[in-house]
Amino acid sequence: MLYKVLDKSAYRDFVKALISEYEFIGPKKKDRSVHDFVPIKDISELDTNYMRVTIPPAKKLLFPPNEKLVTYEVGRKIEVRPVIESDEEILFGVNAWDINGMNFLDRVFTTDFIDENYISKREKLIVIGMDSKPTETNFSLSMGTEYAKDGFDIYLTELKDKYFIRIATARGNEIVERYAKVSDATAEDFRGYDKYMNNYRKKFKMSVNIKNFYDDFELIYDNEDFWKKIAKNCYSCGSCNLVCPTCFCFNIKDDIELNLKSGSKTREWDSCMISEYGLVAGGHNFRPDKENRLKQRYRCKLKTFIDKFGKYACVGCGRCIEACLAKINIAEDINSVKKEVSV
Amino acid sequence: MVLGVNAASKNTIYAPDVARITRIEQISPTEKVFKIVFDDEEIKNKFEFKPGQFVELTVFGLGEAPFSIISNPKNRDFFKLCVRNAGSVSRALHNMEEGERVGIRGPFGNGYFPYEKMKNHNVLLIAGGLGLAPLMSLIRYILHYREDYKEIMVIYGAVNPESILFKNEIQYWSNRGDISLCLSVDNPDDKWTGEIGVCTKLIPRVKFPPDDTYAAVCGPPIMYKYVIDELKKKKFKPENIYLSLERRMECGVGKCNHCHIGDKLVCVDGPVFSLWQIKNLKEAI
Repeated sequence: MLYKVLDKSAYRDFVKALISEYEFIGPKKKDRSVHDFVPIKDISELDTNYMRVTIPPAKKLLFPPNEKLVTYEVGRKIEVRPVIESDEEILFGVNAWDINGMNFLDRVFTTDFIDENYISKREKLIVIGMDSKPTETNFSLSMGTEYAKDGFDIYLTELKDKYFIRIATARGNEIVERYAKVSDATAEDFRGYDKYMNNYRKKFKMSVNIKNFYDDFELIYDNEDFWKKIAKNCYSCGSCNLVCPTCFCFNIKDDIELNLKSGSKTREWDSCMISEYGLVAGGHNFRPDKENRLKQRYRCKLKTFIDKFGKYACVGCGRCIEACLAKINIAEDINSVKKEVSV
Repeated sequence: MVLGVNAASKNTIYAPDVARITRIEQISPTEKVFKIVFDDEEIKNKFEFKPGQFVELTVFGLGEAPFSIISNPKNRDFFKLCVRNAGSVSRALHNMEEGERVGIRGPFGNGYFPYEKMKNHNVLLIAGGLGLAPLMSLIRYILHYREDYKEIMVIYGAVNPESILFKNEIQYWSNRGDISLCLSVDNPDDKWTGEIGVCTKLIPRVKFPPDDTYAAVCGPPIMYKYVIDELKKKKFKPENIYLSLERRMECGVGKCNHCHIGDKLVCVDGPVFSLWQIKNLKEAI
């Protein structure tokens, strides 16, 4: 890691240069409450001071909602061709918890088998991180994801009159050296950064008691009444999955073109909340009830990957809380588990 | 944004290899056995599997589904799948003819039946319905190296005599005389002279010493609990009981997450698990 500072007056030129030199994806205001990561052609479109969340999360660049994986020609001879799409581009202004979300996906897509479709995009994506203000439903601080220690090339932190820059990769360093007039961070800059981080962490208003969840969850697992109560209003709509920066479930479907000669395999985001999720041929459904599916979602987010990677699969961004039509609140539910066990 | 399509320079785990159906055999009113050979010699030579592993089969233009391999792993020129006409892919497959092409990915599954560990021990195989299919590869392997194993017993339950799978092979087993067989059907016809009722009822008759016996189990989800209860009564050790689990599998490579049970993925950690591995895993059984 290299630590540099950039004078605020030089910031706009730096960003302008990046916009003109690269495919540049950044946050743009979509409507009153939502930003989205879209291609930016002019700095005026860019809005890094997004108060609310970006929907969908930036993971869409690595793991698109629809992604062609394979194409094939079906004739006398069948030819199968992999589709590995990737082009260098900059993802600008993504915040710490969403970077941590991508870091989680990196683990998923490289464990057991390497998913080239995902990882080739990740390798080509230049990530420039920036802090954003947490919403009132954000509990990243409790999940330990309010700070990104890796998974980016460059991370900009806005101090009073300068940006404190963390550079994590050689590629990031090259970009900074070429397009920004920076100087080495001094002890005073570090002090300013430290002060900033303390204030930044105070902005997270929501907290969860996640400490003993791993074991508490086992005790609560078979408590049907508890889960029925929590899932009572769930519509099984899957909104929580669609907005989640770490959800990665997908289906693979085969399609054939109208010429009946070429076809493809495409992956599409799936949702563990909808009733077909556990359905197998022959009609048996391994997860037929909504309370079971919601419990399963919490197990996946908060326990499963502690076993697998030593990490939570939830970064605490709070998007699912805001997206839920039935006002199901994962943060409150984590605390309810604690309460139920303590009684 | 222009994305470059970089075809064929890199491979993807989702690209199937092309193979040919060389033989189709209807073995029951709803099941067919497909013999499959890879087009490419190199791929054919590299394809090696263990009893209990599965492949993802693509019907091009239609879809993909997982199927257990049922042939003897010693046969390297081909492999066989037993397919019930139950879903969209299997229905399409049932309508295919010999000589037609399919796509194959695999073999998948790090959890397989531990045929090496089972050597010099008794092996009890318990199958319900289509559950006999995933056990066939193991049974064929064991019979290939029969002298390496002690007593072998197959307990197999089917709905009715008509739905009994691999009838010819079962006849051959009973002719061999070195493998005991217990067949049971839920709904007998007039000609049926064998056992009647669920196959779990036959477990109390097993005389194998539990310390010296491995059990391999595969059947419909409802069956496992009862089989485990009976085996526990027999004092079988959980680490010697192996179960092949079924879950929805889209990718086969531990990515799509459909088959997860807690921290286990049936496609990569299974599909065969020892009872010890999943003993305290909620919802596995």
